[in-house]
Amino acid sequence: MDRIQLGLRWAVVLFFFLVADVVNANGANLTWGQLTESQRQVLNPLASEWDTLRPWQREKMLDIARDYPKMSSDKQELVKKRLTNWSRMTPYERENARKRHQQFQALPEDKKRELRQKWHEYQNLSESERAKLRAESPDAYGDSGLE
Amino acid sequence: MNMHKDNMTNTKNINLIDDNVISDPVMEEQIARGISDLLNNRAQHLKPEQEQHLSAARNAAVNYLAEQQAQYSTGAGHGYVLRWFGHHVGQNFEQHRVASTGLLLVVMLLTFFAVQHFGFNNNLENSDAYLLASDLPPEAYADKGFDAWIESN
Repeated sequence: MDRIQLGLRWAVVLFFFLVADVVNANGANLTWGQLTESQRQVLNPLASEWDTLRPWQREKMLDIARDYPKMSSDKQELVKKRLTNWSRMTPYERENARKRHQQFQALPEDKKRELRQKWHEYQNLSESERAKLRAESPDAYGDSGLE
Repeated sequence: MNMHKDNMTNTKNINLIDDNVISDPVMEEQIARGISDLLNNRAQHLKPEQEQHLSAARNAAVNYLAEQQAQYSTGAGHGYVLRWFGHHVGQNFEQHRVASTGLLLVVMLLTFFAVQHFGFNNNLENSDAYLLASDLPPEAYADKGFDAWIESN
């Protein structure tokens, strides 16, 4: 019975190590060379700048690499294409983008289509026109933008 | 001779006790006194050898109790951790030690897998990967000019 008790104690200690390992397995301090082959493939657009990224940036990028295999090939292509721009956005911009993305997801399909069309039209504006629109916009992001 | 008669009477009375009588508090006290008197009277006539046996048994019982209390107070007793949840839980752990150990291991394994699969940032639909693969590029969500342009149109 003492053996069982001793075994139980070791199991509890091991358990806490395992849980701590899973919780902290964020790879925030991993260098490019320490990433797995599959992570490097997904994050390839960031290869040259990976070691200069902040720990929280690396963590987020590794989350993307983690979710990547669960996506269809079309979506995977989009992720690879947009990854570089995404990594260059400021944390503030990214946080706002996340918020807006959630709002966009909640919209009905016709509204989504309309916004896609509007984005296409906006892209056709000249850079000076877009810069003017940005300059005229308030700094803080409101909640009404995509609604 | 009288004492012997009294003892005989007490013994007979005790043998006649039924459950209904015991449930009466007054009767219960009388019965307890009867038992106590009987024991005291009989104790007068013990042989030295019997006294010695009883004394040794008492010492063993007292030592066992003292040991149990010392273990409990220093936390060396089994089920100590579970006593954080109450003495009763600790006692149950004592009684069903193997089953409790198994149960604890199962709970630990389930927690481990839950942490692994439902981790803090594992909400797939809200992950950055899905944002990047969204209908609109991330710049569209972060571009203040686009917001202003939608407003003006």
